[in-house]
Amino acid sequence: MTSCDVLILGAGSIGLPLAYYCAQAGLKTIVIEQEASWGRGQNRAAIGGVRATHSDPGKIKICQESIRILSGLERDHGLDVEWRSGGYLFVAYDEARESAFRQLLQTQKAAGLNIDWISPERVRQLSPGIRLDGLRGGTYSPEDGYCSPMMTSTAFHRLAWQAGADFRFNETVQAMRLDGGHIASVQTTQGDYAAGRVVNAAGASSAELASLVNLEIPVHPDAHEAGVTDPVARFMEPMLVDICPDEHSGNYYFYQAVTGQVVFCITPKPQIWSVDTDNTSSFLPLVLKRMTALYPRLRNLKVRRSWRGLYPMTPDGLPIIAEPQEISNLVLAVGMCGQGFMLGPGLGKLLAERLAGRGTEHQDLLDEFTLYRKFEGMELLK
Amino acid sequence: MQRISEHPVADQRPAKPEVSFTFDGQSLRGLAGEAVSTALFANGIRTFSAHPKDDAPQGIFCANGQCSQCSVLIDGVTRKSCVTPLAAGLDVRTIHGLPELPAEDQAFTAQPPQSLSCEVLVIGGGPSGLAAAVELAERDFKVLLVDDKAELGGKLVLQTHKFFGSEADCYAGTRGYDIAKKLEAKLRAFPNAAILANSPVCGLYKDKKAAVYVDYASYQLVDFEAIVVASGARERSILFKGNDLPGVYGAGAFQTLVNRDLVKAAQRVFVIGSGNVGLIGSYHALQAGIAVVGICEILPKINGYKVHADKIIRMGVPVYLNTTVVAVEGNGKVERVTIAEVDKNWQPLLDTARSFEVDTVLVAAGLSPCDEFYKQAVKFGFTAVRAGDAEEIAEASSAIFGGRIAALSLAKVMGRNVSIDQAWLDKREVLKSKPGAIIPRLPIQPSTSWQPIFFCDEEIPCNPCTTVCPTHSIKLKPKLGSIMDLPYFEGHDCRGCSACVAACPGLAVSLVRALDEDFAEVQIPFEYPADRFAIGDRLPLLDQYGQFLEDAPLVKKFHNKKYRTWILTCKVSLNLATRVIGVRIQQPTATAPLAAARFEYLPDEAIVCRCERVSVGQIVRFIQENAVTDVNQLKSLRVGMGACGSKTCAVLLPQIFRKAGVDPATVTAGTIRPLMLEVGLGEILAGSGGAAAGTATAASATTTSKGGLK
Repeated sequence: MTSCDVLILGAGSIGLPLAYYCAQAGLKTIVIEQEASWGRGQNRAAIGGVRATHSDPGKIKICQESIRILSGLERDHGLDVEWRSGGYLFVAYDEARESAFRQLLQTQKAAGLNIDWISPERVRQLSPGIRLDGLRGGTYSPEDGYCSPMMTSTAFHRLAWQAGADFRFNETVQAMRLDGGHIASVQTTQGDYAAGRVVNAAGASSAELASLVNLEIPVHPDAHEAGVTDPVARFMEPMLVDICPDEHSGNYYFYQAVTGQVVFCITPKPQIWSVDTDNTSSFLPLVLKRMTALYPRLRNLKVRRSWRGLYPMTPDGLPIIAEPQEISNLVLAVGMCGQGFMLGPGLGKLLAERLAGRGTEHQDLLDEFTLYRKFEGMELLK
Repeated sequence: MQRISEHPVADQRPAKPEVSFTFDGQSLRGLAGEAVSTALFANGIRTFSAHPKDDAPQGIFCANGQCSQCSVLIDGVTRKSCVTPLAAGLDVRTIHGLPELPAEDQAFTAQPPQSLSCEVLVIGGGPSGLAAAVELAERDFKVLLVDDKAELGGKLVLQTHKFFGSEADCYAGTRGYDIAKKLEAKLRAFPNAAILANSPVCGLYKDKKAAVYVDYASYQLVDFEAIVVASGARERSILFKGNDLPGVYGAGAFQTLVNRDLVKAAQRVFVIGSGNVGLIGSYHALQAGIAVVGICEILPKINGYKVHADKIIRMGVPVYLNTTVVAVEGNGKVERVTIAEVDKNWQPLLDTARSFEVDTVLVAAGLSPCDEFYKQAVKFGFTAVRAGDAEEIAEASSAIFGGRIAALSLAKVMGRNVSIDQAWLDKREVLKSKPGAIIPRLPIQPSTSWQPIFFCDEEIPCNPCTTVCPTHSIKLKPKLGSIMDLPYFEGHDCRGCSACVAACPGLAVSLVRALDEDFAEVQIPFEYPADRFAIGDRLPLLDQYGQFLEDAPLVKKFHNKKYRTWILTCKVSLNLATRVIGVRIQQPTATAPLAAARFEYLPDEAIVCRCERVSVGQIVRFIQENAVTDVNQLKSLRVGMGACGSKTCAVLLPQIFRKAGVDPATVTAGTIRPLMLEVGLGEILAGSGGAAAGTATAASATTTSKGGLK
């Protein structure tokens, strides 16, 4: 039996930063990962957007922390993750979107976000070539940005590894032995572990893992596809988000990475409830049609690659960050709804502070994202 | 213009109209329809672009649409020059830094991709794909064959040499490009077979669709019930400092430029690798009037057929065994290659280094199967078979059988009542055999009647000499009982017709008869330009291994049109007659090294990922600093993230992991994702209007406008 202070299940968007901050705080940290290496679950499928522009105060708080961390990785640790504070631009071409965004601005500003309404002219300056016909403006948050998910997960793996975290790859959790409302041991394909705290950070597999301790959590993956183009000289600055649905899709968004490629993604309609991560032929025509309608000059880009990833969805579009009453040493950091990459660094830092502290830190987050909420409604900017 | 106007065996292609285009504003001329890269080479331009990352000069590498090193800006958009046809007025530009996205801001109307359907999709129109398609078409399957080249035949198109094997089974004695035409004609005769040439498959999707990039202009989706993956092989890159310099490229790329496009691509070449590709590539260079300075081989023996090697060695080209390339250097282009012997751990012994002045280094260090679509199809649970090099790297002759066998096994899986003839399986095995024993031949005395003299002394699958002899006087010595056996002359009934001399793919048969006590006549095959020789000229005659025998007068020359081979008859000294088999065409001075080796040994600077320019040293350091055991993690370094989609670097990575101290057997492989090559957004959305869809075919593939949005 191997013992540790914190046993993190999942070396992904959440588990990697959490492992780093736990190890850095002096906790003996072990990470179990079923894939062959870090970030190979859904982190690899993230397109790289990081925003604090949400409709929910808790998520805003976590992501502001994420932005502080990611934008400082190179300065603080010499690790380049291709961060760029390009901002997020939610565009509005109709009355409904404009009024919704304007209404949200109040919550967002109250939460301390640097965000405002901008004119069509300003939209054009930030993204020259965007369709102006019908454009009413949009909300722009210049401190949001984007970076490379792969470089970021590699950076956190490296930081965690150097801080003493122990990574166990190609290792699958098979059982968890409960002893009086406490996880006494975690059995994997390679061995048994006993831990002060067991953190379920298993993304798309988190419900399955929770079921090993007879805990039902409302996390169900749906599938999204994404793609990347060839690189061109910088022509647009922000992550562009169009949340106006059409017949076949919901929102879609794209940005130009530091290295020049345009990275894009779309939410299909109806959603595809599936854990299949193989590409389908419908994605490219679906998303490219909308992108070129919004931004005609994209027609001259070339699609280089596409891929499919999973959003571990909760019914209300908000994560579950919880210490369930039923099991005293279990922590849930699950249901990121496709935003694990942007929530991960901030959440890892805040959660590690709680795990390393008295256990009462950041209670506001645990109250808000409790497992015992009603899961009603849907976050507007999901 | 650096074009080949006189070639001994390649056809001068139907005249293409000359057109004007510009390169960085300079007005140039090329042939309409030829690859832009070819037109640039013909104008003496071999550096096409500067890499956006570090401005390193970029030239051609694969000439096969696989890598992306030959990219240029064509009318403002980045394109691979090797698969973009030249048209009048093209504005071709060097890429410097990242290209600007053209500001075309007028509204764009998207169309769903056009749909095609078939029962069996055959990916690849080389020998195995064509053979498979014919078998399937014969059994009434609705077949769609797609190929990435404008001309069907795969690598056969580049193969100007005569084929081994047997005439009856695989067109032995016929030149590769002629075989391609025969196979294509067979397929085109079937109304239930459709062909899309110039149209690579760029992706397979889980919903059982294949994306085809029709004419490199329109993205179309194909429904199918089963797939034959016959997508051939790609050349392996190898690692040495300077492996990315313009002028270092694949032997296949060289054959494309020289044999297909008839461009004199180089003046002096050095060849890495002594397999059949390297040997034949060297021979093709000599035929095109290009000096071959040497061949190096890291193994202790020549890797290809001995008859191929003999043809090269005979011309005075040294083959350096146990030797590797340590550096290719020059100011923005290849000027010098340095080789050195290796120790038993394959490490170069730098004090044995020798440098040569060359302008081109051909990489012929082996092939890797293009089997990605097969692997994906299997993963997706599709009905799929593979054939040819995509299944196993071997000769085109065995690929023809492989294609037929794969087709029948597929037909069987799809419920047809077929059985596979055991003889086919046997023949395929023989045709893909590695060379067998070398059995030295005993000296033969000339007699007053004609007799064939054989210079083939290694067992290879080949027998045309036995089948073309009108008196059936040439037989195989029954040792192995297959066409691997060596031929011999049985009896005395040789009429001196020279059919065997002309048909021998190895140029390893002569005919000799004594004229008197001092002289003999000898007929030898000749595959270099012979128009320059007049009767009475004294030709420098060589033995099997290039030893000079004598200058002897040419008494007759005859061009065998069927085999496209000259038969030269010379009057030679009787005592030398049975040794004569070649005419020197390259002067020995061509192969001399520099007086002293001149190089820097910096193996860590070798480029692994050509698209993103990542070196050996960078990857080794990254693996060590991050404890990497998963190829996917190298994407953080951008390895495999470039335009080619890791098609070029993937095969090099195991040795890099080993160098970093990680056992490659423990390393997780990289994930394959569509697209397999870049396709324009506008092209994906062009519907049927984007290109003259299927121009290359008498398409009977049904075209339905089902739309792609589901």
